[in-house]
Amino acid sequence: MKSVYGNYAKVKSETVLEVINLKTWFFTRRGTVKAVNGVDFALKSGECLCLVGESGCGKSVTALSVLRLFDSPPGRIVQGEVIYKGTDLTKCPMPYLRKIRGKDIAMVFQNAQSSLNPVFTIGDQIAEQVMVHQRISRAEALDRARMLMEEMNIPQPGRALKMYPHQMSGGMKQRAMIAMSLSCNPAILIADEPTTSVDVTIRAQIIYILQELKNGRDMSVIFITHDLSLVKEIGDRAAVVYGGKIVEVAPVEHILKNPAHPYTVGLIDCLPDISAQNKRLPSIPGNTPNPLDMPPGCPFHPRCPKVMDICRAVEPATVNITDVHAVSCHLFVNMDGGSGNG
Amino acid sequence: MTDIKQARRGKPVVDKRLLHYYWERLSKNRMSIAGLGFIVLLSLVGIFGPIFIPDPQKTDFEIKNMPPIGFSIDESVYDIKTGEFTTTVILGKPDHPLGTDSKGRDMLAMLISGARISLLVGLLATGIAIFLGTFIGVLSAYSGGWVDNALMRFTDIMMTFPFFLLLVMIVFIFGPSLAIIVLVIGLTGWTGAARLIRSETLSIRTRDFITASRALGASDARIMFNHLIPNVSSLVIVMATLSIPGVIMAEAALSFIGLGDPMSTSWGTILNTGQHSLDTAWWVAVEPGIALFFTVLSFNFFGDGLRDAFDPKASI
Amino acid sequence: MVSNLLLQVKGLRKYYRVTAGLMSRTRGEIRAVDGVSLAINRGEVLGLVGESGCGKSTLGKIILRLEEPTAGEINFNGIDVINLKGRDLREMRGKMQIVFQDPDSSLDPRMTVGGSIEEALVVHGISDSAELEERVARLMEKVGLEAGFRERYPHEFSGGQKQRIGIARALAMDPQLIIADEPVSALDVSVQAQVLNLMMDIRDRDGLAYLFVSHDLSVVRYLSDRVAVMYLGKIVEMADKEEFFKAPLHPYTEALLSAIASLRPDGRNRILLTGDVPSPLNPPSGCRFHTRCHRMMPVCQQIEPQLTESAPGHYVSCHLYA
Repeated sequence: MKSVYGNYAKVKSETVLEVINLKTWFFTRRGTVKAVNGVDFALKSGECLCLVGESGCGKSVTALSVLRLFDSPPGRIVQGEVIYKGTDLTKCPMPYLRKIRGKDIAMVFQNAQSSLNPVFTIGDQIAEQVMVHQRISRAEALDRARMLMEEMNIPQPGRALKMYPHQMSGGMKQRAMIAMSLSCNPAILIADEPTTSVDVTIRAQIIYILQELKNGRDMSVIFITHDLSLVKEIGDRAAVVYGGKIVEVAPVEHILKNPAHPYTVGLIDCLPDISAQNKRLPSIPGNTPNPLDMPPGCPFHPRCPKVMDICRAVEPATVNITDVHAVSCHLFVNMDGGSGNG
Repeated sequence: MTDIKQARRGKPVVDKRLLHYYWERLSKNRMSIAGLGFIVLLSLVGIFGPIFIPDPQKTDFEIKNMPPIGFSIDESVYDIKTGEFTTTVILGKPDHPLGTDSKGRDMLAMLISGARISLLVGLLATGIAIFLGTFIGVLSAYSGGWVDNALMRFTDIMMTFPFFLLLVMIVFIFGPSLAIIVLVIGLTGWTGAARLIRSETLSIRTRDFITASRALGASDARIMFNHLIPNVSSLVIVMATLSIPGVIMAEAALSFIGLGDPMSTSWGTILNTGQHSLDTAWWVAVEPGIALFFTVLSFNFFGDGLRDAFDPKASI
Repeated sequence: MVSNLLLQVKGLRKYYRVTAGLMSRTRGEIRAVDGVSLAINRGEVLGLVGESGCGKSTLGKIILRLEEPTAGEINFNGIDVINLKGRDLREMRGKMQIVFQDPDSSLDPRMTVGGSIEEALVVHGISDSAELEERVARLMEKVGLEAGFRERYPHEFSGGQKQRIGIARALAMDPQLIIADEPVSALDVSVQAQVLNLMMDIRDRDGLAYLFVSHDLSVVRYLSDRVAVMYLGKIVEMADKEEFFKAPLHPYTEALLSAIASLRPDGRNRILLTGDVPSPLNPPSGCRFHTRCHRMMPVCQQIEPQLTESAPGHYVSCHLYA
């Protein structure tokens, strides 16, 4: 299976992570939940790739699948590969995966409240993370923790290390989580909606930190969000996820100026800040699909304003409409400009 | 109260659609359905069984200590004259399929009438306890302030009350009887329910739909009867179902130690008589034990399934 | 002559006592709402923004008498709301309604949606089943739902649909003012647009006024006529929408707007606030915002600024403009 980026991957820089036709399904009593149903993307060194989509589209499960963090029954990776440093993470043995987790690939979650252990201080938690992966003394680990807190613009970092999560505000907890994830200098950071549950001004601080980090460290970021304005601020490339598949991917300016997939077009149009004032907001009729009961063919067809007969029956292939912009839609099947799947 | 009456307007208290939804969820849990099946069976046996059996109390020393069908036991008799033991093998017979006890009473008959007793005690005592618990819990949560405080302190005191001591005293004064057991269990067992129901009521009160009703101008009474109580009812049902096995066991335990009515054939009483003949007639103790085991297990499975079915967050 | 003024709030305060210990000693006060004055005209949408803990939700509830204010005045259609009782209170309740944020908890799960929608009508004395059925049907159609769904239960609907049901319920008694407390925050973006369109339509058709409480500035910009910002229980700026987004005055407003790239006024840089929101139990002295303000002056630490009209229709509470 060829990766979606075809020529673009070779044009830019090297690929650090490649996800190929990933399918993660959950086998429950109610039926099979096809949360991720054929996701392809390649993450390049130093870039920030945003996975954009609404609730239930499968973006979070995709992130969890990279490190196999989802609940294993009932979930299972039924197909696909996640290639990191030549190894397929979906099939590698657990000890190897554990070494990768936290050290090479780190993750920041949405809700810092439930991701931090309430009975340990922040300093202890960060130090533990470091000591698991490296043979340094506790004192050195704590020192590293303090430097990370400084990097996060947390005031009085020494004092902050001794605090328990409940003593910290929401924004501080979120930053502590990011500090923890950076403690072993990971090559890849996966951030799952890190700013969704915080206030606007704290969000600004966190985005600023993430931008500085991206520029300062040699790190690639997968940033998961439903907020297109965030994508504009922090992303290099954006991949739009719908119904467990990636329906469009391109550099951020391209995708915001020239969205190709009807879903992307609809999503951008229905945002109140970009559309014109006081006119009716365009909206996408219907609801996001139920992963238990995916429609056949293209998952977006029940809501698509440009639906054709073929969309109801056949899944569209991914096609490169320019050498940096790929779309999965029957409208573009004959427009293959690069070496797409056709 | 007129607006409450108008709200119900002849609609059934429980809507078929809602029942169907809960039944769908419940039926996906196989253990739960198995439990329900056993409970139904037990109920049928308990209600109709005693019509068909001979008098369980009828003693017949000729056929004492007969094992259940398919089993045999050796009986040794010491002959004083000869100074020797003669051993005969007694076999189980189909006319007493579960055997007989040391007084020749038919085990199956006793167990069936015991089923009726266990169910009655279970339902009645639980009924009293849950009714009291709900009343106090809802009242406490809804009133708030000093009433809430006073009722909860009263509940705390009752929780520490030595009901066993009370039972012994009453039995000493009035003699043992099942009615006393039912009353004592009921009147002292409501405390756990009261606390849980109170906290559930408090949490429902803060939900948006209650605020919405207040914003519409609904009276306190209307909110209590139309919104609070229906939403608490699922907890009450689950609590009741899960309390029944505890009550049945409590009654069995009390009868076992002799505080129950010795003339009754409750499973606990049978166990009591059976403990003395474990070597000569082990089935007298084992059979009621098995019956109790399955009964308690079934109620627990069914209750767990009910709780999951009612809980909107449980993904079924 | 009917005045255009629908709602007027003056000096509204809500203090919560914090108690501790066995004997419930008073440990302090949370000043959730601390002297708020505002006015809403008929058919106008006032957007109220602020971050968590600023008191905007509490303000909405107090206006509806869902909580009792500690001090202040509320006048609705010229009538003093605070001292209303009994039937008068109930009548007022029909005219001012609320829509909640969380679609999952705003509807009684044990009641059909038809039952939830008609509750207001029943409470206000309408008992004829035929009339109730007809009115519920009309309300459901108004919010874009099939009338035949009235016998269904909330769990059978999606989030967006549940919000519509909540709106239908609020519209039952033909209110003149709706307090919308983050009505679209819990919805997906594509569904948000549907519900926002619905709210606009209802406003245009029925002349409803909204107090639109939200933390999402882009939504507020779309829907509002005027915007007010709250910080730690006080209003720090209030202006017409255009003015507000083009030329904000208060440093906090500047920071809020600059946090979202697409809303940053032209020519201004990004402003990052330091620190976190102070605890409402222990608000800073003087101007509450001074601890995080990028334009703080010495006077800000000592004296609390008052809300003054620094340009026509543009109110701000800041020493820079006093």
